[in-house]
Amino acid sequence: MHDVVVVGAGCAGMRAAIEAFDTGADVGVVSKLHPTRSHSGAAEGGINAALGNSAEDSPEKHAFDTVKGSDYLGDQDAIEILANEAPGDIYQLEHWGCVFSRNDEGKLAQRPFGAAGSPRTVYSADITGHVLIHVLYEQTMKRAAQGPLHVYEEFFAWRLAIEGGRCVGVICWDLVNGGLKLVTGKSIVLATGGMGRIYRATTNAYACNGDGMAMALRAGLPLKDMEFMQFHPTTLYPSGVLITEGCRGEGGFLINRDGERFMARYAPNALELASRDVVSRSETTEIEGGRGVNGSVLLDLRHLGAERILTRLPGSRELAMTFAGVDPIYDPIPVRPGAHYHMGGVATDNWGATEVDGLYAAGEVACVSVHGANRLGGNSLMETITFGRRAGQAAAEHALSSSPGSISGAPLADAERDLGRLLARKEGERPWKIRDELGSSMLENFGVFRYGERMAKQLEIIAGLRERFENVVVEDKGDVFNTDLTGAIELGYMLDLAWVMVQAGIARTESRGAHSRPADFPERDDEKFLKHSITRWTDDGPELSDQEVRMTKWQPEVRSY
Amino acid sequence: MRVALKIWRFDAQRGERALKEYEVDAPDEATLLDCLDIVKDRVDGTLAYRKSCRMMICGSCGMRMDGAAVLACKVRMYEIAEAGQIPVISAMGNLPIVKDLVVDMQPFWGKIRAVTPWLEPGYADPGEKEHVVAQKRMDVIHKESLCIMCGCCVSECNSMEADPDFLGPAALAKGMRFVGDPRDQASVERLQALSGEHGIWDCTRCYFCQERCPKGVDPRDAIAKLGAEAMREGIDSDMGAKHAKWFVTSAKTTGWLRETELVPKTQGIAKSVKDVKFAMGLVKHGKVPPPFPPHVAKHVEEARALYDLVKHDGEQGAAGIVQGEKALGRLEHHDDGGAAAARGPYGPGSFAKPYLPGEQEDAE
Ligand SMILES: Cc1cc2nc3c(=O)[nH]c(=O)nc-3n(C[C@H](O)[C@H](O)[C@H](O)COP(=O)(O)OP(=O)(O)OC[C@H]3O[C@@H](n4cnc5c(N)ncnc54)[C@H](O)[C@@H]3O)c2cc1C
Ligand code: SF4
Ligand code: SF4
Ligand code: FES
Repeated sequence: MHDVVVVGAGCAGMRAAIEAFDTGADVGVVSKLHPTRSHSGAAEGGINAALGNSAEDSPEKHAFDTVKGSDYLGDQDAIEILANEAPGDIYQLEHWGCVFSRNDEGKLAQRPFGAAGSPRTVYSADITGHVLIHVLYEQTMKRAAQGPLHVYEEFFAWRLAIEGGRCVGVICWDLVNGGLKLVTGKSIVLATGGMGRIYRATTNAYACNGDGMAMALRAGLPLKDMEFMQFHPTTLYPSGVLITEGCRGEGGFLINRDGERFMARYAPNALELASRDVVSRSETTEIEGGRGVNGSVLLDLRHLGAERILTRLPGSRELAMTFAGVDPIYDPIPVRPGAHYHMGGVATDNWGATEVDGLYAAGEVACVSVHGANRLGGNSLMETITFGRRAGQAAAEHALSSSPGSISGAPLADAERDLGRLLARKEGERPWKIRDELGSSMLENFGVFRYGERMAKQLEIIAGLRERFENVVVEDKGDVFNTDLTGAIELGYMLDLAWVMVQAGIARTESRGAHSRPADFPERDDEKFLKHSITRWTDDGPELSDQEVRMTKWQPEVRSY
Repeated sequence: MRVALKIWRFDAQRGERALKEYEVDAPDEATLLDCLDIVKDRVDGTLAYRKSCRMMICGSCGMRMDGAAVLACKVRMYEIAEAGQIPVISAMGNLPIVKDLVVDMQPFWGKIRAVTPWLEPGYADPGEKEHVVAQKRMDVIHKESLCIMCGCCVSECNSMEADPDFLGPAALAKGMRFVGDPRDQASVERLQALSGEHGIWDCTRCYFCQERCPKGVDPRDAIAKLGAEAMREGIDSDMGAKHAKWFVTSAKTTGWLRETELVPKTQGIAKSVKDVKFAMGLVKHGKVPPPFPPHVAKHVEEARALYDLVKHDGEQGAAGIVQGEKALGRLEHHDDGGAAAARGPYGPGSFAKPYLPGEQEDAE
């Protein structure tokens, strides 16, 4: 038995594992992907900390921008922690060797990002996530060479083992060798990332299916703010891969069919650098108003010139050239809003602790909440580091001061039985069609704009898909690298979460941040909805309640950019 | 479009290998990875391959297409399918196969671990702030830090085929990533370790790694940088190092490689006597000019200029090589020659120039 088992090895998971190890714990890390394959590595633009290297800045300003960006749904104590601890965490990463870009003085360079009052985003060209994931893996390897830190690579976590109200481990399917294995620990940290794959157009990797949220939900834990999915304004048409906000930070324009910088009509001050929800809605309005090009608008970098594009945005250029055949030095890039980041997740306190003894969560799977109804670009990588560290420390302290929980064979036996049933089924539908229909219908009925009837219809669609899923058949019955099996399990997770999301969306009869109801409830309603939504699983499906927002010093104001 | 693929299947449980052909309909913009997904979803759910990001950054999807390593998510299938080609897809080379297109990456990671792949700090203590380092100095490891650990280079490595213990291109590039980092205090120890057996001098310079790397890491150049650094530090007892050192002297003074002198310079007189017969044989066949008087190449100035370019600004070793690369990078870009480049960003046929609403659309 480990002291701490971290499930997930993205930025949040590895940062938690490192901190738990440094606190003195014996650490196991379970990940369905090799750590460096985690989707954190795909992050491009940067990570926010008020270092003040480019212009005057302060954690206080960082916190305020975040509160405002969250449309006042963020928990302000958590946001202050993030803003205050971010600079120290960034220096730590730099000391570990992270290859950040430098300014003329040789200090860490900082670029402007959407809805930030000061250039606060630390970056490495447009591969920030890549350099972070690799530096964290380097530090993980270093510790694994020194002491008890073991990475269970390509272990697919399927269910949490909770006994007598305490989380004691996680039941995993060993992808390489096959078989269910129970990895036990005194504390468990969930860090399984996001769930963009619920939508057809998404910047998220194939691995982002909300596994941890669904596992926690089924284990009886509350999920918070599940209706808030952020749509990124610049995902490449048609593939959906992300073109970083850094392109606009560097001065890129958004234009419509006529070449007009339409953002001037929606956000006259911030223009292209308005908050993401605002930009995504403006684009959708342009496209729906017939001013788009092939269901997209255009991101124009031409005026930046070849030199700047080649040195600052080489990755974005490569993506545009490979997946859309467009060289941004000479032509504007077709982009549209796509599902990008999920603000909600497993409810935690400011140390990552959940309601269940011994269970922690950090990163995109968790909802502390620092992002509220809308996340600011650059804040989620910071969250993975700062709250990953805090969760790792808290989990280790919990483990080192408590005796091991008792473990019966029951959860594993249940899992074996269910798995046997799933694999024994020979007749039925294969998962892909259900998955594709879920993705398209969510995009259509629960996307950038939400309408009462469409959401109601989506609930029915989800019910139908869930029924079909009952008879889903896994074609691969083998033990070795059976991704047919894990794919089916992931689809099950997404079908649970989609239901939760739409239900919470219907209940929120207002417009706030990423949840926008232009037809029936276009205004924010602080009277009724300055509240988190909370969802729990019951025998009859998800059940909603709410929770107060934690406020410290900022009262809600009208949000304009 | 209609896409046909031949896939080398491998059933680990039965130890059976078979080449199977699949044909599917795919959207025109589909990549190889998209096509594999369609095969797996609609034709055969037992097909195994790795994937995650589908945007060339996670390094999961390395495999071989017609015998050369590629990232499946980077290969557009349109031209291939239109040309009626049926590519053969197989697992990467130099690594054991687990199932179908999935290889065991443990040997790969073992070599990464062997180069002490983390920063050894302590050179200068920055306290509660960041290290202050000029971007120019960080540029030395820019390419190496692009590596996504996909294994495509290792799959094709010539030396690795002959010597499975050879550290290989990815691990050596990772080594360079730290050797070149001004914040690392263990560069000399690292160079010493990497100069040993199975290290930098065992590379045959076949350049396959460089050619196949999907991220522009240029691992062979990284190995060259390590060689240059090792020599700058005087770690040149290894034969390969001596060989390379003489190469530079030779090229600088005469503009070309004086191969007949190379043998005694790198192996010492006693050993080279044994090779004299061999060398004379070459002379007889007109392969090398006799050693004296030295034949000076016509373009010796060019060779000297190249050497000077590398030495420019007093930068030697790895930094110099980076500088050379940058010059080449610029050339490459200006050499583009495509239609878009010809008309320029705003030339006739380009997309309209952006304007702000209400703004007078003034001509130029
Ligand atoms: C394209 C893109 C660009 C982005 N750019 C930025 C940016 O510039 N700035 C910013 O702040 N944010 C950015 N974000 C958001 C940010 O990158 C993510 O929110 C963050 O990286 C999530 O990190 P994580 O550690 O929580 O999850 P991930 O990095 O997704 O890691 C999840 C881990 O959990 C493991 N896992 C998942 N399910 C299971 C399971 N069932 N069993 C075992 N293991 C499992 C995976 O293997 C993986 O190791 C971007 C997001 C995307 C998609
Ligand atoms: S150049 Fe060297 S490292 Fe690269 S593939 Fe050839 S032998 Fe291997
Ligand atoms: S050097 Fe290139 S080919 Fe080799 S592992 Fe790194 S990215 Fe892949
Ligand atoms: S799927 Fe990530 S590199 Fe191809």
